[in-house]
Amino acid sequence: MTTLSSSTRGNKPLAKKFAPVVKAAMEHYAQLTDDLNKITENPGLASLRETAKQQFLMQGFPTRRDEDWGYTKLTDFIQKPFRLEAGTHVTHNDIEAYLPDYPAVRIVMVDGWFSESLSDDLSGLPKGVTIESVCDVLETPELTDRVAHHEKQIEDEPFGVLNTMLLNDGYYLQVSRNVSMEMPIFVLHVQAQDHQVSNVRNRVLLEENAELTLVESFVSLNASESEFSGFTNVVTEIEVGQAARCKQVVLQALAPRSYYFNNQFIEQAENSVLNTLYAGIGGQTSRHQNHLKMNGKNIESSQNSACYAEDSQIMDSRTYTEHNELNGVSRQLHKYVLSGQAVGVFDGMIKVAQAAQKTDGQMDNKNLLLSGSAQMDTKPKLEIYADDVKCSHGSATGQINRDQIFYLQARGIRKPQAIRMITEAFLLEPLETVSQPAIRDWLAGALSQKLNG
Amino acid sequence: MLLKVENLQAQIDEKQILKGLNIEVKPGEVHAIMGPNGSGKSTFANVLAGRDDYEVTEGNIEFDGEDLLEMDPEERARKGVFLAFQYPVEIPGVSNKLFMQTAVNAVREEKGLPALDMFDFDEYAQAKIDLLGMRADLLERSVNVGFSGGEKKRNDIFQMALLEPKLCILDETDSGLDIDALRVVANGVNALRSEARSFIVVTHYQRLLDYIKPDHVHVLFNGKIVKSGGFELVHELEENGYDNIIQQYQGE
Repeated sequence: MTTLSSSTRGNKPLAKKFAPVVKAAMEHYAQLTDDLNKITENPGLASLRETAKQQFLMQGFPTRRDEDWGYTKLTDFIQKPFRLEAGTHVTHNDIEAYLPDYPAVRIVMVDGWFSESLSDDLSGLPKGVTIESVCDVLETPELTDRVAHHEKQIEDEPFGVLNTMLLNDGYYLQVSRNVSMEMPIFVLHVQAQDHQVSNVRNRVLLEENAELTLVESFVSLNASESEFSGFTNVVTEIEVGQAARCKQVVLQALAPRSYYFNNQFIEQAENSVLNTLYAGIGGQTSRHQNHLKMNGKNIESSQNSACYAEDSQIMDSRTYTEHNELNGVSRQLHKYVLSGQAVGVFDGMIKVAQAAQKTDGQMDNKNLLLSGSAQMDTKPKLEIYADDVKCSHGSATGQINRDQIFYLQARGIRKPQAIRMITEAFLLEPLETVSQPAIRDWLAGALSQKLNG
Repeated sequence: MLLKVENLQAQIDEKQILKGLNIEVKPGEVHAIMGPNGSGKSTFANVLAGRDDYEVTEGNIEFDGEDLLEMDPEERARKGVFLAFQYPVEIPGVSNKLFMQTAVNAVREEKGLPALDMFDFDEYAQAKIDLLGMRADLLERSVNVGFSGGEKKRNDIFQMALLEPKLCILDETDSGLDIDALRVVANGVNALRSEARSFIVVTHYQRLLDYIKPDHVHVLFNGKIVKSGGFELVHELEENGYDNIIQQYQGE
């Protein structure tokens, strides 16, 4: 076996220069890697982290000069070094309010660590459904068989590289062949301690003809303390096997000074269906990214976002979608409502390979600006190498139509309420793709509450 | 007197549209306002409803003993002013039902009545749907989204029935309607006529008026009412057009 990576990176790159504050932050995270590696007994894990560290030290944090980061500035983030410590004490009472009001298997992750005591008893899972703490997997030789499948792709994502450097825990979820997991699996990711990194590496594996509904909710326990700041950095690898059906909902409702980066690497096989929705309402700077490869015939995918940002929040959601085979259908609707000085960022790419004839890809981004100083940066893109395809992408940004407001007022509805009704209806549209009413209502409730708070 | 408009002058974008309009409407009366394009008919309808694109520069409007111009659009609606729009807007994602329940409860709040819950509202709305012969799925759809022109206007008449206003202003509700839709609108208006409810029907054509048979007909030209009369004026206009009346007025 030959490795190509050395040749593509053969010529010694010029050493990048970093500002002192950036360099300090880089060294801080490199030190965290060293600390973790001191206590591991698995050389495979240590070398995985070390390789990532070396790469990170070379490429550093992205700056505004990096095209993909031009609107998602990290200046505040870099000035706050986040610690990596386990063992924050969290009780059931602390998290109760964040648990779903519908039946689900509940997993709780505290500051990035799988909490067995707060999670439901997993011994009673239906046959063919496995949920494990990644922490246990990491210390085994099968580490790279079971997690860390996308290291090559991860290299291109600065926060992905950081995630590998700090690999410590996450969940491993497998649904076996022909098994339908009817009850949703609900993962509550809790930021518990101030200035902590929650570094999460997950793997979700749906075997042939399996079915899963996965709900993830990111919250901060001390959101009422106005300065509370946590840093959640997630990489999730999702594999949707032949004819498998994966539904996912991610709610990001972190504290207003927290940071959120989530890279999802998703691969779909023939005849499979994926439906994923991201709802972003929290965080100072947040970025949710899907890297989706539709690697078989007759695949359907639906990727959607509903984002509301206020004050000086920066909210970034992006998708990269590869159609690699015949008859793929992809649908996307990304909606943003921005108020105050908030910045919204959308970036979407649909790439259609030559073999992917009869592809039907649609990507739509619609944004509502509630204030004159809010800003939306959007970049929908298509790259098509097949000749028989139907693809479209579009983006529209505007303010609330005054005629709509007046129409409601003319029926006796007060102006602020009229604005709320129109805004809420706009923001909630992507939720129509969520097929389970209980999950949809739960999500709509969280978004409405934020919007009307 | 339900409505008393005196020397009303209004402009939009610095352009004077209404130049001293006077009209009085008693409870139960149906008034028609006709006139050529650009005479100010729609401006008058919108000023009554409170659209803020228009600036009132002179005059006053008394509604039910209160100063209408002091009120926000929603205040006017709550007190019983209703505008059926020339172009009802689409509001994606807002269900007609939620919209109308909110509106009905806003008006009830003004009257000191308790809010209707979902079940009470359904029952109340069903009665109005039956009264007007509307399609039953009307409430389940987003406000005016995907409605034909006629359906939008009918939806406005349905809202009028639900809100039970004191003064109904129809702003060219008949424009663009085929004969069947026109009949539904006219029947709706006739079904809602009562001694306590007045109408101002702004229109270009006599078609709708043949069904409604207004008590008073006014001709608006260049921002002023230049001639008033009874229902017979509609037919005079139909035969001779506006030119005679305008020339007569300009001669004075």
